Amino acid sequence: MTEQAYPDALQPQYRMHWYTIERVLGQGGFGITYLARDTNLDQLVAIKEYLPVEVASRRPDATVRSRSDGQRERYRWGLDRFIQEARTLARFDHPNIVRVHSVFEHNGTAYMVMRFEEGDNLAALLERRGTLSERDLLRILLPILDGLELMHNAGFIHRDIKPDNIHIRADGSPVLLDFGSARHSLGKAHTLTILVAPGYAPFEQYHSSSENQGPWSDIYGLGATCYRAIAGTAPMDAISRSKGILGSTREVLVPARNVGSGRYSAQLLAAIDHALEFVEKNRPQTVAEWRREILGETSAAGVAPAVPDRSAVAASQQAAPSTSPPAAGPSAPPAVPPQRAIAAHGAPPKADSPVTRRGWPGARAPIAWSIAGAAAAAIAITVFLWPPIDRDPEEKIRQIQKELERTKELLKERDTDAKTREKLLALLAEQEEAKRRQEDEARKRREEQEKQAQAKLRQEDEARKRREEQEKLAEAKRRQEEEARKRLEEKQRLAEARLRKEEEARKRLEEQQRLAEAARREEAERLARTEPPASRAPKRSPEADKLAQGEAALARREYEKAYEILRPLAYGGNSRAQNKLAEMYAGGMGVPKNNNQAYIWYSLAAQGGSATAPAEREKIARLLQPVEIQQADTVVKNWRPR
Amino acid sequence: MGTRVFRILSGRRLAAGCVAAALLMSGCVTVDDKRCAVEAINKEFRKDYEAILARDGTRVFSVSRAEAYDAVRISMARLRMTVEAQDPVLGYVNVFAQAPLPLDDKEWKQAAEADLPRAQEIIGPCVGLFGYFFRFEPEGLESVISGTVVETPAGTSISFTARMREVAPPRTGFPRREYLPPTAVRMALSKMWAEIEREFKTTYRKP
Repeated sequence: MTEQAYPDALQPQYRMHWYTIERVLGQGGFGITYLARDTNLDQLVAIKEYLPVEVASRRPDATVRSRSDGQRERYRWGLDRFIQEARTLARFDHPNIVRVHSVFEHNGTAYMVMRFEEGDNLAALLERRGTLSERDLLRILLPILDGLELMHNAGFIHRDIKPDNIHIRADGSPVLLDFGSARHSLGKAHTLTILVAPGYAPFEQYHSSSENQGPWSDIYGLGATCYRAIAGTAPMDAISRSKGILGSTREVLVPARNVGSGRYSAQLLAAIDHALEFVEKNRPQTVAEWRREILGETSAAGVAPAVPDRSAVAASQQAAPSTSPPAAGPSAPPAVPPQRAIAAHGAPPKADSPVTRRGWPGARAPIAWSIAGAAAAAIAITVFLWPPIDRDPEEKIRQIQKELERTKELLKERDTDAKTREKLLALLAEQEEAKRRQEDEARKRREEQEKQAQAKLRQEDEARKRREEQEKLAEAKRRQEEEARKRLEEKQRLAEARLRKEEEARKRLEEQQRLAEAARREEAERLARTEPPASRAPKRSPEADKLAQGEAALARREYEKAYEILRPLAYGGNSRAQNKLAEMYAGGMGVPKNNNQAYIWYSLAAQGGSATAPAEREKIARLLQPVEIQQADTVVKNWRPR
Repeated sequence: MGTRVFRILSGRRLAAGCVAAALLMSGCVTVDDKRCAVEAINKEFRKDYEAILARDGTRVFSVSRAEAYDAVRISMARLRMTVEAQDPVLGYVNVFAQAPLPLDDKEWKQAAEADLPRAQEIIGPCVGLFGYFFRFEPEGLESVISGTVVETPAGTSISFTARMREVAPPRTGFPRREYLPPTAVRMALSKMWAEIEREFKTTYRKP
């Protein structure tokens, strides 16, 4: 299977240290994830192998090497990042973040050992169910936010949050997977094809540099995941949204508050819309902030409004250059990567003061400003056309005039900056191409998964055949044992027959002695007939004698004999015998335990006047279905003694 | 705007949101949740089971009691059921077999697929998302069927009841159900009556 579906993967049973590969769990652009067994601890683990197919390949001796000398440096740089990030992740022990046990270098690459989580991923669940209720959505979202907040506070961004990367364990708890360790690995030279998930990645992730990315990027991904869960489809991808904002198409994202109105709480829908704001600075900047919005803890001051006011948005975009560092231009590389930037600022922020935008310094690209300007223009026009609200009309007119002036300036700036526009269009073309490539790859992956599923079916079929074979062998063994048991029983039966013969001979002798004794007694009585008898022993009926014999046999645990004696009496209507027979069925004494039969015999004994039978019948009745009781009562009602 | 948001989020909505969030965050599926799920499914399936038996659990035939009793035993044997206990005088017979007998694998799959959505809907309120991991499993279970043959003024009445019996612990975390899925009960009854009628026709040439 591995050879067919994953030609680059390690073979099953391949051993590294104390890990034995069992099968491939999945393959992405940056590596392969395996299911493996830790032979020391005898438990399953997931192992991710760093294998960026774009720059490296596997050799026949299982080692991984860069495809050319020119790519060696990129491969080595990515490898170092993979190891570094595994070490970072391993520091965290949170129930909703995949647990990293270890990382090691082998075969010229590196391997990250993680806990193997059974269950299903959210994408599959959504595929089956279409949408989730608010209760189910929050049950997944809130624990994920806790884990994500922990990672953000340590200066770490996921960058690929989407339903495929949220795993639902068998007990229903969620866990966030694939912390994008390889995603950073190719640095500036990576391609968009393997970087972004359409619909779930914010626009800033389509840039080749990462200075504008931060917790707000992950919040966009989670917002998009929530949107998918309430709308049944993913939101449109950020490229299409950017075209809508630029006016090249009429496509705009239908807000969650429209899609989910009436089915979800207004605060949840508003929080999702806030997370999906196109411009990153308009989104919640931290997980804590967003969580407060979701849970309705937003205060009037200090937190961004759930549904942004249009004039406020325009004003904030106008004011943005003064709050962002203008020094870094579009081509200026970041001084340090985001994680290192956090480290350079000292210890990670506390949980109650999570990473803010100031903690993620970076230049604003002119492209983003152009988009922001266009967005501001659109919003300003919308504000102009918006129905009046309770404000001073003169002040409102002044405000609108001011907005229009700002908008005109921005539009003029955008029109005159042809170079920027060309760059933007080129970027869009590149991104469309990347999207096409991504779709091709997704199709190929689907085909591979189908192949894998077919191979799995074949394996299951073989396993079933093996099981059947084993069952046949077990059946043959059981038959042999049964025959041996029968032989032993036959021997015992013969021995018992011999004993019975001896017993009969002894009884015949005793009978002869008894007859002789009776003759002697008769003679003695004849002689003393003139004297009256001192007492007369009570006579017992043959049925009473048999009943006594049956009870005695039962007391001696001679069940077979007791059953043979008591059964005819019970059929004849003897309530005491019926009671005893019921006890035998209830306790499985010499007969297979059967509550239905016990119930019937107790009922018949109760009808015959047994004092104890009714209470015993009620005990048995508690173990039966109501319909079984009705069925037994019908038998009792129609019963006639034989 | 801020005041408006504050007004919307204040009061009962805010309180309800906080309570719901606290409840949702309180954890995943507990043993009590699972017990709640199995009790719910037993309750609903029991209703269906009793309604099915009331409708088609008993039939009356114009045959003697002995003929009816023999026909029941022979038919059960043909359906690969093993006699566990019997009393011809009482008119009682008890048979069992490894589930899904008397249904075959295909019939069981068909019955399980028909009843699975309803089962998931029943247990949903108890276990939430975990309900989507619920499956009907024949493994580790035996089908136990009790049959009675009683003479009545209208003829000889044959009736059946059925239950599941655990012989191995379940693979899932759910406790065992006692009642069969309703579609399985309907299919099994239909199969048993067809076999009995065939037996009367072929052996006794009676309707």
